[in-house]
Amino acid sequence: LTSSDSPGAAGTSPPGADQSRTFRSEALVHLDAVYRFALRLSGDPDTAGDLTQETFLRAWRGWESYTVGTRAKSWLFTICRNTFLRGEGREKRHTEILNELVDEDPRRASGESAVFSSVGDRDPEGAFWDRLVDDRILREIDALPPEFRDAVVLSDLEDLSYQEVAEVLEVPVGTVKSRIFRGRRILQERLYDVAVASGIIESTPESVSGQKDDGA
Amino acid sequence: MSWINDLRKLLSRVRGASPAAEGHDPITCREAVDHLLEWLDGELEETESKRVGAHLETCGRCYPRLRFERAFREALARASRSQEAPAELREGVEQALRRDGFGPD
Repeated sequence: LTSSDSPGAAGTSPPGADQSRTFRSEALVHLDAVYRFALRLSGDPDTAGDLTQETFLRAWRGWESYTVGTRAKSWLFTICRNTFLRGEGREKRHTEILNELVDEDPRRASGESAVFSSVGDRDPEGAFWDRLVDDRILREIDALPPEFRDAVVLSDLEDLSYQEVAEVLEVPVGTVKSRIFRGRRILQERLYDVAVASGIIESTPESVSGQKDDGA
Repeated sequence: MSWINDLRKLLSRVRGASPAAEGHDPITCREAVDHLLEWLDGELEETESKRVGAHLETCGRCYPRLRFERAFREALARASRSQEAPAELREGVEQALRRDGFGPD
């Protein structure tokens, strides 16, 4: 959709009306999603509001260069995150270095969960997750190390595919996968602690003896 | 005591396939659990996705893990949805866009 000033002049629409219409239906529909992502990035509603506005302005100005085929949603997240990082004065290179140190653990790519192992006997289907308060969950997400947080947010909260997350974060898909998986495990452990502290689930009776989900 | 459990578990993993999944194919619990997250994320190619899914949905040992991860994921999504852009922000964004040539509709 790169219909810039075509001299056809066959319609009654003023120039840009088509673009405005597609921008509304393809980009502006993601306003809530962008705002939420901005909230996770900045942790502050005012900053998130500014970020959201900046994101849509940039997106609008670059709308012609937006390639149909990429999802507008991930494109918006990319703009949002880059805007945020620039505002923070954070060089990408700087975070990249940290990432390489963090990403070396391919063995985490499984459904093994320490929390599942330790509550498996008391709450094998994880009913306690549902009793956690929204604000507490969001607070723990926000407190994750940024690399893990961004991957988990884009994947689990905004439903991006691994490939799309990789494009937004500008890292390889394998890296994305390991960040999502590890991020989830860290988050599970922290939320489990929250659940125990707030009495939603009893703490482990005595031991740390681990997995006892055998039987029937 | 717990080492007996560990041993049992190890044995059952080595032996593989849970009874529930036997009719389907020879995928082991180990394999299924290894792919649980990718399966939930919809990131496995079709054939593998079917094998893994069939096991996870029917195996008495793996199904709770699936439920557990699903419940976790649902809690995150629910928490996230609780936040929406304030109406003033929506209005502000549109105003800023209009100053930049965003058309009326």
